[in-house]
Amino acid sequence: MGRTAPTYRQALEERMKRWDEFARLLTTPEEREAFELVRTGARRYAAQATYVGSPDLLESILLSVLTDLAARLRAGTTARPSPP
Amino acid sequence: MKERRTGRVRRTAVEYRPPFLVSGPREALTPLARRLAALPVVASVTPGTGRPSLFDRRVRPLLSVTPERNAGRRALARTVDALGGYETFTLYDVDLTPPQLYHLGHALYPFAPVVGRGPELCATEPAETVDYATPPLRVARLEVRIAGERRGRIPPPDGRLGSVRLGDVTLEGPEDDLLRALVNELARSDPDILLTQGGDSFDLPWLYRRAAACGLTPAEFTLGRERVGFRPSRPARSFESYGRVLHRSASYPLPGRFHIDRENSFLYDDAEIAGLVDASRLSRLSLATVVRQSPGTCFTAMEMAQALSLGAHVPWKKNRPEDFRRGDHLVQADRGGVIFLPPVGVHDHVDEFDFASLYPHIMVRKNLSAETLECRCCPKSPIRAPGLGYRSCTRRVGLIPRALAPLLARRLAYKAALKRPGIPTEEATRLKRRVKMLKWILVTAFGYQGYRNARFGRIECHEAINAYARALLAALLPEAERAGYSVVHGIVDSLWLRPLSLDRPLDPERFAEEMSARFDLPLGYEGRYRWIVFLPAVTHGLGVPNRYYGLYEHGEFKLRGIGGRRHDTPVAVRRFEGEVLSLFRRARDADGVRALLPQALARADLFAARLAAGDWPVDELLISHRIGQEPEAFVTFTDSVAALRQLADAGARRGAGEFVRFVLLDRESRSFRHRVRAAELLTGDERYDREAYLDLLARDAETLLAPFGVDREMLRRRWDVVVAPPRERYRSPERPSQSALASASVYEGS
Repeated sequence: MGRTAPTYRQALEERMKRWDEFARLLTTPEEREAFELVRTGARRYAAQATYVGSPDLLESILLSVLTDLAARLRAGTTARPSPP
Repeated sequence: MKERRTGRVRRTAVEYRPPFLVSGPREALTPLARRLAALPVVASVTPGTGRPSLFDRRVRPLLSVTPERNAGRRALARTVDALGGYETFTLYDVDLTPPQLYHLGHALYPFAPVVGRGPELCATEPAETVDYATPPLRVARLEVRIAGERRGRIPPPDGRLGSVRLGDVTLEGPEDDLLRALVNELARSDPDILLTQGGDSFDLPWLYRRAAACGLTPAEFTLGRERVGFRPSRPARSFESYGRVLHRSASYPLPGRFHIDRENSFLYDDAEIAGLVDASRLSRLSLATVVRQSPGTCFTAMEMAQALSLGAHVPWKKNRPEDFRRGDHLVQADRGGVIFLPPVGVHDHVDEFDFASLYPHIMVRKNLSAETLECRCCPKSPIRAPGLGYRSCTRRVGLIPRALAPLLARRLAYKAALKRPGIPTEEATRLKRRVKMLKWILVTAFGYQGYRNARFGRIECHEAINAYARALLAALLPEAERAGYSVVHGIVDSLWLRPLSLDRPLDPERFAEEMSARFDLPLGYEGRYRWIVFLPAVTHGLGVPNRYYGLYEHGEFKLRGIGGRRHDTPVAVRRFEGEVLSLFRRARDADGVRALLPQALARADLFAARLAAGDWPVDELLISHRIGQEPEAFVTFTDSVAALRQLADAGARRGAGEFVRFVLLDRESRSFRHRVRAAELLTGDERYDREAYLDLLARDAETLLAPFGVDREMLRRRWDVVVAPPRERYRSPERPSQSALASASVYEGS
């Protein structure tokens, strides 16, 4: 329906395919788990990132990951804080 | 015309040949007029002037061209377009049908109460009247059965008619007599509407086929009130809509009556006759058109009517390319509404709020229409799309808002009438159908702004609407928090809120009213949930915006994106879902749901045991799939392809967009005969693939219960389902030149 640009969510998933290559050379389960946390963090604030509509995809991804990490840090947990 | 008192129907004929308009430079129009006047297909050519387009500010020279025959209208228009090299001339009012133009030019509409006759026919109330007497329509169901065949199976090509049901009457006997008896029964009961289930694809073509085989002529065998040939008026076709390939059967209209085929109508199930009549009145399209077309067609027709009433005309081909813009602007502009990821799990004390028809309301409030956006007359307009800056005109009301405002008012009026105490059930049903119909039309009104073929659409309007909607939701969030709520979930025009403190009860009705007043848009309170479960994505475990189920305090469920809402879920699995839901109905809150989990699992075990026993009736295991492409185009051998191949063998070809239904017999098999059994070929004693169905059950149980830690793997182990190791999908070495269907014999014996 009249959509020319990919959505933030699409662009994010596309970018994360590249991240698979990164994860391939992580060697310990702890690292891989940590990497999964980052991945989840990147996805968590898709609504907010879409709302900004920044042309800089990485800015949005980093904001999402950092906010997620900061929220976990505050809560002192690796469990999922309740979004949004 | 039908006389209300006697129920008699008569035909009124008026000669009417509407002209179409051609605009272009004067020096090109003069020779064109001379040339056209010499053509035998042209009745008259009249030069004149006017402002045919909504964008026109100055008067332009025009030619008004009347074709000799209405049927030659389009061909003549094409000739004119070609004479101008497809760029010199702009044509108007070409593809409005003469009935549409007649209705509009004479203040008439379908199902209008009228007085007078012939050219003096006159409607006694305007089409927009909200409270009108329902037209007196007689409806009869029509159903054909082939001798010796169950309905739904593939009849042999020379199958004879066994019986025909019309209304309450069932006709039987030798075919010849049967067909004549049907004509007589039609004349006797004289229905206005024939309602069928698959009439366009089966009942009518079959009747005509047998009538021809019996040597009957159209004069002897007529299903309408007028004689018509035995062929469809429109062949079957496949098309794409909202990312899905759909199929539309050939259509068999019956002049003098209406034929409604429930299977060939997108709108009938929701709108029924009450809603369709309403749409027909408003759009000036015949019921026969409305029933087979999409709500978008109705809305386009309403826009056209509005344009004509403004003194403008309807351009034949839209010629408005998107303006050039920068990439970062596109990223800014080309976005939808706000969609949160909901918190996975079960929640209680959740209040749901929805904006009613948010997008149409925004279009009206912000005056968003192709010709009022970024207009030249209001460079200082204060109405600007947030973040994008698109200005709206402040001097004149746009076409879209003009077309929408009465529809919105109408919908509100119907809804208000529905709330009147003591409203008769029949009246309530009728109003609900009309509300549903209007809802569909309003939904498409937005979508058509961004659709390249939409006559009055403009992509910037589409973007502006989304921008306003995003800003609205963003402004609503702090208001909700100020009122004492925390935000649980939000999708575009809906919000799920939970009180921050349960000790301090909030008044949701009041919140909705305050916000409606604050934002000048109608926010409605949908209700409070006893509990609501937001479901996770299988891939990453975060919430999926549109997958949840919950129970309102008033006792109704709201279900989104779970198995029962998908058409490919077999009945057996639906039953399981139904049982889990009726079990959860007992829960008063989130803890109540959690406490019932062991019982839900026990229910799943029971279903699994019965499935594993192998005696579940196969018709409850049917899986249906919409075919996404022409059967020959499949490269991968799938369950659907196997079923299609079986059907093709039995002489029943399916087109893209049609459904195929089958039972899984052996998912591992590479033979189309052994993998599945198509629904039409079921004998009832098939041995189904137990593992496959247990897996489907496990998948559904996982969908419903995942937030409580239930997953498919765990259920499979619990039920001893041995799942074959995943393997590459089978692809023929000869791809892509060959198709799975054409050479399915390759798979045989492998």
